[in-house]
Amino acid sequence: MNISALNIVLIIIIGLLGVGLYGLLITRNLIKIVLVLQILVKSAMLALVLAGKAAGNLDLGQSLAVTVIVADTVVAVVGLALAVQVRRRFGTLDVPQISTLRG
Amino acid sequence: MAAILSILLIALPWLGAILVWLTGDSRPKILHILAVTFSLGAGLVSLVLLAFAGPGSVLSVQVGSLFGAFTLNPDGLGASLAAVACVVGSLAVIFSVDYMHGEAQLSRYYTFVLLFIGAMTGLVLSGNLLFTFFFWEITALCSYALISFYNDDPKAVAGGIKALIITQVGGVGLLAGTLAAYASLGSLQVADLLKGAATMPAGILAVVAFGFLLAAAAKSAQFPFHTWLPDAMEAPTPVSALIHAATMVNAGVYLLARFYPAFVNVPGWTLAVTLVGMISALIAGLMALTATDLKRALAYSTVSQLGYMVYAIGVGGVFASQFHLLSHAVFKALLFLSAGAVIHSVGTRDMRRMGGLGAKMPFIRNVFIVGALALAGLPIFNGFWSKELILEAGLKGPWWAFGFMLFGAGLTAFYTIRMTWLVFFGAEREQLHAHASGTAMKIATGALALGTLTTWLLAGPLSNLLANSLPFHKLEPLATWLMVEEVLSAPATWIALVVIAAGAGLWAAIQFRKTGTVLSAQPTATAGWFDVVATSSFGFEWLNQQVVSVVKKTSTELQKTQTGELNWNILGIVGALLAVLAILAWGV
Repeated sequence: MNISALNIVLIIIIGLLGVGLYGLLITRNLIKIVLVLQILVKSAMLALVLAGKAAGNLDLGQSLAVTVIVADTVVAVVGLALAVQVRRRFGTLDVPQISTLRG
Repeated sequence: MAAILSILLIALPWLGAILVWLTGDSRPKILHILAVTFSLGAGLVSLVLLAFAGPGSVLSVQVGSLFGAFTLNPDGLGASLAAVACVVGSLAVIFSVDYMHGEAQLSRYYTFVLLFIGAMTGLVLSGNLLFTFFFWEITALCSYALISFYNDDPKAVAGGIKALIITQVGGVGLLAGTLAAYASLGSLQVADLLKGAATMPAGILAVVAFGFLLAAAAKSAQFPFHTWLPDAMEAPTPVSALIHAATMVNAGVYLLARFYPAFVNVPGWTLAVTLVGMISALIAGLMALTATDLKRALAYSTVSQLGYMVYAIGVGGVFASQFHLLSHAVFKALLFLSAGAVIHSVGTRDMRRMGGLGAKMPFIRNVFIVGALALAGLPIFNGFWSKELILEAGLKGPWWAFGFMLFGAGLTAFYTIRMTWLVFFGAEREQLHAHASGTAMKIATGALALGTLTTWLLAGPLSNLLANSLPFHKLEPLATWLMVEEVLSAPATWIALVVIAAGAGLWAAIQFRKTGTVLSAQPTATAGWFDVVATSSFGFEWLNQQVVSVVKKTSTELQKTQTGELNWNILGIVGALLAVLAILAWGV
């Protein structure tokens, strides 16, 4: 296997994906969930750019990635704002605890 | 011309359905007029179409790259079945004018009846398997809606849901067969499947053949799916006549007949079809012996007669099965409608409470007897000729199946006479108020009685039509007088007549032994254990309930996996991802 630039990026993508999934698997804290979601989405963005490069259509890949960055930022902002509200209201950020409170 | 007529056959009833729906319940008179006009119009168009029936498609509309073209094939098989659906359908609608008089929510009733008639013609005329499937499902939906028409009655709702679920099982078979055929042939056209069946891989063709057999068995209420039809009798009686005797249950037989040339060489297929038909004919006949509900007895006899048609296809008698389908549609619609007139008049379906009604409703008694004699298979009536043709075709099949079918013919005579006697003759067991039936009821049943006496004369034209327009079936045209000669000179006919007479004689003997007089009106009580076994439908009802309870329990258990917790869901996603990667790695 020749180690080209594409392959290195691919390994980074898989690594980020793994970190994100592992984080989602173990974390119970709402803020941490928002953080690992960000990592997961970053790996998807990187994959878009990589796919654009590999298919010889780099412009498309990059513009898609920029679109995702915008949408993703909104997700992060809303997610964190919700986390603040949840913390104020329930006094905890532990997801299983919040879901058993129900209201 | 044929293209316009074919489109009209689907469009007329559906247009009527929309108009009826828009009219609403507040003007029942207009509803009756609209429904009768549109169904009669469709009936007339369907008769005209018979003159234009021919092989090949008359209309082809491109609908995207996946579905292929939507085609209409008004060949002999499709056109004759469309005519049965529309003509019997219009008579059932005429009957409804009296039967449903003053009922609430009439627009819902007529909308679904007309929608059903249009879907049925679409189903038999469509030359594209995927559209056949769509129409197939529309008929199932209409059937469900009409069985549950009295939706404040839990039994009616349960019956409707049961019919819907069981016919869905068949729908899955049809869809699986269709997709398998598409995967192999790259086309959804019926003609392409018939042409290309010989070149398809044997395994895939077997999937298609048995998938379609599953669909046919579920739709035609054949073994082991026969339990839905008796429960469907909660529907208003014209619906039972239209859907559960004359048209929808024929869709399964139609499917088998349509694709018979493609599947005949699949190993075990003809034997399976023969067995399904034989077992259905037998057990339904036995269950009809002990039924006390008039409509249930008729429903069992429908299952039994459909068993004869399926059996005929299994032994290679495609024409015999289609001919019996025509006869059965006419005489069973007649039986159901006259039973409906009785039920409408006395207000009960329990035959043990009836008796001696013949004197009060002589017209209905006479037409019911005409239908009953045709069902029993006595000469002159249309049921005789077609059933004899089936038995004659059965000589080419396995001898044991033929023996059982002969036994079934005797059984039919037995339960038919028992049923007729319990309702119309003997002493009155209860003072039931019976009023005379209305004009519309008399028109519908009278026309059907006339048909029962005469449709066997159509054997020649029907066989010509099928032989000339079905290039793959390789049928021989058979003139009516040749058919008469053939039936009368065949030994099978005389054996069958003896068996039928024996069945009738056995009934008389049991009556005589029980009460000392042949003319007694007491219900024929058969042996106790047999009663118990047959009324529980030979354990199939129990099997049905087991399936339902297992599914319910499993879904309750599976609910526990739906924790709603993020970590568990992610575990599922990662697990599935790893499984897919493993399969990919394995495969490469």
